[in-house]
Amino acid sequence: MAVAESEFPLASRRRRRSSRRRVASALAPYAFLAPTTAVIAAVLGYPLYLLVRLSLEKYGLFELVRHKGTWIGVDNYTKIFHDSQFWHVVLRTVVFTAVNVGLTMVLGTGIALLIARLGRFLRLLLTTGLVLVWATPVVVAVNIWRWMVDYEFGIANWTLTKIHVGNFVHHDWFANNLSGFGVITAVIVWGAIPFVTITIYAGLSQVPQELVEAAQIDGARAWNVFREVTLPLLKPIFIILTSLSIIWDFQVFNQVWIMLGERPSNDYYLMSIYAFVESFRINEYGLGSAIAVVMVAIMMVATVFYIRQMAKTGEVR
Amino acid sequence: MKARVIVAALLAVALSAAASTASGSVRTAKASSITVWLMGDAQSGWPNVVAEANSAFKAKHPGVDVKVQYQTWGDHLTKFDATIAGGDTPDVLELGNSETTKYMANGALKRLTPSAFPNNKTWLAGLKASCTYGGKLYCVPYYAGARAVIYRKDQYRAAGIKGTPKSLAQFLTVGKKLMKKFGKNDPNFSAFYFAGKNWYASLAYVYDYGGQIAVQRKGKWVGTLASKNAIKGLTVAKAVVRALSRASKTTDEAHPQQALVFAKGHVASFIGNGWEWPYALNKDSGNPDLAPDVGAYPMPSHIKGTLMPEFLGGSDLAIPAQSKNASLAADWIKAFTGTSAETGLAKVGNIPNTTKLAGVNKDNPQLAPFAVAASSSWFVPTAPNWVNVENANVLQDMLVQIYTGKKSVQAAAKSADKQIESILNG
Repeated sequence: MAVAESEFPLASRRRRRSSRRRVASALAPYAFLAPTTAVIAAVLGYPLYLLVRLSLEKYGLFELVRHKGTWIGVDNYTKIFHDSQFWHVVLRTVVFTAVNVGLTMVLGTGIALLIARLGRFLRLLLTTGLVLVWATPVVVAVNIWRWMVDYEFGIANWTLTKIHVGNFVHHDWFANNLSGFGVITAVIVWGAIPFVTITIYAGLSQVPQELVEAAQIDGARAWNVFREVTLPLLKPIFIILTSLSIIWDFQVFNQVWIMLGERPSNDYYLMSIYAFVESFRINEYGLGSAIAVVMVAIMMVATVFYIRQMAKTGEVR
Repeated sequence: MKARVIVAALLAVALSAAASTASGSVRTAKASSITVWLMGDAQSGWPNVVAEANSAFKAKHPGVDVKVQYQTWGDHLTKFDATIAGGDTPDVLELGNSETTKYMANGALKRLTPSAFPNNKTWLAGLKASCTYGGKLYCVPYYAGARAVIYRKDQYRAAGIKGTPKSLAQFLTVGKKLMKKFGKNDPNFSAFYFAGKNWYASLAYVYDYGGQIAVQRKGKWVGTLASKNAIKGLTVAKAVVRALSRASKTTDEAHPQQALVFAKGHVASFIGNGWEWPYALNKDSGNPDLAPDVGAYPMPSHIKGTLMPEFLGGSDLAIPAQSKNASLAADWIKAFTGTSAETGLAKVGNIPNTTKLAGVNKDNPQLAPFAVAASSSWFVPTAPNWVNVENANVLQDMLVQIYTGKKSVQAAAKSADKQIESILNG
């Protein structure tokens, strides 16, 4: 104690220095986070704030010309929640997302497992094909599909008739929205498979071969190996891919919009299309924003899984 | 390992997001130019008239460049609204005559002085009305048009048809004869090609049977498509379309362009505007060999000897309120709507904006039928919100439901009425 007291000036200086260092080291993470936070606030936070504000305003063509809306509180939300078409659209969007994500994940996984078993040449060929699909811009891809299923000159109708599947001369794929959404789903799943497949394949190549062999020696069949060995090991990847697919498929717009000549009839409305039509076709920007805000809210719920998984993975490391 | 895969996945996501947002373009505005938005019809139908107006304008304003940008009917209003938001509107804007009211009522267009424009005393009354709001002028009539039946004389002859039908019943008989003669062996053949979303031609049946789309009662708009006469018209339209057309029931007359489908040779007739005739014979996209065999006649009514009222289509030219070059824009409009330009417009099959030129096509067998067709016409309800009914595809959706048989005529019309009322009174 006495010694300590005698050394007081020095110790205090040292303590001061170390406390300064402690403060600095406590602040450091925040300093590192600051640029990212600023960028996110600028590119995501501000537009989101504007969107929410717009959803609480009456904002039509009159207001657009004057660049000034009128505050009306939650009226826009009351209006859409009492609109039966809105609930139809929400339900349709949810079902549509579920079907697309399900097909994407099942087919993507299947192809990844296939690639893992292929020889070098075929694997290269298939991977190249997948990358090419991935590299095709959406607008180009949708237009090509649109030509293929064209009512009058499409190759789909011609081929199906030629191989005697039935009489597809002048078959209108979009007359019925179930078959119309079938075509749209095909385009979306086709475009989404490469990313899922390549990611899962990357994961598969990291599954320790000893584990697989051990399971096989114990008499496990292919399906059991997949379920008991591969799946648990790749679980984080599956969860992340599914979450991302949900986010992408929930906000699909281009595929429907372009496929239906920029004038989809209302039995083809998904939430994104509905919000766009209300905003930019009918000039009800406030109403359209309210729909978009509801969409963001639903997406946030879906994203929770994704973020939790990310956090968990971080802990493991 | 896990982390590496995740990082790779996230990187891929970030990259694809960056790629999809990097498509913005940079625009530099020069003070010494004006921007003119015309519809694509001018590009395919009368590019020479546009060129002539441009050179007349440049002679008066040397050094001022005219940037003509061609738009499509499907999304030109969406684009225009975006330019209002961004404060970068064109200086001259073409609007369909059913689109003007909303923009006039909301103050999006500059007020104009009629006396500054050529032939303002003799403008077509219908077009002038579409440019007038609260007694003031906000745009200049550009041209009008009514549709007529464009047909293949050789195919009519081959099917043993003499003359042209004088009533709707005769029209149907003629069509059935053609389907019998050519439609059996050719699955692509249509006696009367009619795209399901062609609401201009479809609603003509409603007006022919004495119906209407909507009427104003005690200051409120009431949808009248489910009324007795309108239902009758829609039912007949359905019968005609299902019997004589093999066109898609879910596309409109511009996707694909019906004149170009006609040019392919599997179509005996379609209902189109005057400019679609020469467009079908265009040597680049159409078939010039058909020239001697093409004719036109006005669509007959169900009452023998009279004509079915056709939609009085048309376009106007306006100057957006935010234009910074309003006086230059007005000068360009003057050049483009003067007597010489309007004569050029008439010669390719349009109805000019002035009654002074009404006789231009009188002796031209190719164009006279369209002028006759315009003598019996209908127009959309003049409600400020009308264009929202068009933009929300209310009528197109109803027609698709009727023509595909997905809903009964009655049910489809009823639900359309409901939507129309909510939009027009909203």
